[in-house]
Amino acid sequence: MKLVLARIDDRLIHGQVTVGWGHKLNPDHIVLACDEVALDPWQARVYAMSVPPQVAVSVMTVAEAARLLGDPDRADLQDRRVMLLTGSPRDMQRLVAAGVPVRQVNVGGMHYARGKRELVPDIYVDRDDLLALRSIGECGLELLVQAVPGGQATALEPAQLRALEDRL
Amino acid sequence: MIQGLVLTHGGIGEELVRVVEMILGPIPGLKAETNRGRSAKQVADVVAGWLAGLAPADRALVFIDDYGGSCANAALLGGGDGDRVSVVSGVNLAMLLAFATWRDEIPPAELVQRVVDKGRQAVTVVGGAR
Repeated sequence: MKLVLARIDDRLIHGQVTVGWGHKLNPDHIVLACDEVALDPWQARVYAMSVPPQVAVSVMTVAEAARLLGDPDRADLQDRRVMLLTGSPRDMQRLVAAGVPVRQVNVGGMHYARGKRELVPDIYVDRDDLLALRSIGECGLELLVQAVPGGQATALEPAQLRALEDRL
Repeated sequence: MIQGLVLTHGGIGEELVRVVEMILGPIPGLKAETNRGRSAKQVADVVAGWLAGLAPADRALVFIDDYGGSCANAALLGGGDGDRVSVVSGVNLAMLLAFATWRDEIPPAELVQRVVDKGRQAVTVVGGAR
């Protein structure tokens, strides 16, 4: 398995993912790891429908995704180009902690909601988001804010996370 | 009565509705919303909130710009899986003009099909090489 993108995006599967990153990276399997969506058949169906027909899709709980992607011997994922999506930093952190072989995390979409503060332009976080991002960074993974291929890419530095943490 | 919501990326929907009203005059029951700056759940909540404000007997037609994107997901998730809400993608000016023209004249199911047909007819090569 080649993990071509591990992305945090609160819109989950949408145009930036399937058209933007999809055309650039040519995944043949998208894994959406989100408990709320996986446990709601209607939501799971809607998100699965938005994936192009040539791309396989698995809508799973975070625990299921960790088991699927954390097992290097799975024959059904051999030679697959996998795109991993979560809706929050916490879910990505759980996957990293469970041993999913993520090397870099793309921070793609974290929109404003009450209680969130702007970390960098267009990325809004609360305290739990920050702690999860920091935990991911402390595992040695690069955190890169980039909405679409060719768009501005900004590395999130630990000092940035700590600075905002004090204000939340 | 059938009510319309144009849900798009950026300002596409707002501008389309503005142009429809420039051509036909004010269209009560046709509203635009955007996904700009909103998470998937927030956009779905916009659709659900719009539906909650309609009369119980109203049908609803949500126009989206592109199938497979956040607006499509939000229209489906916010609209639920019942038969009160229809969702059509590829919104263009011809579709909205058809909606405004026939929404009081024909039954909702027929209107939805006519909107789609008019939208498709508007996408054509009108000159130059074919």
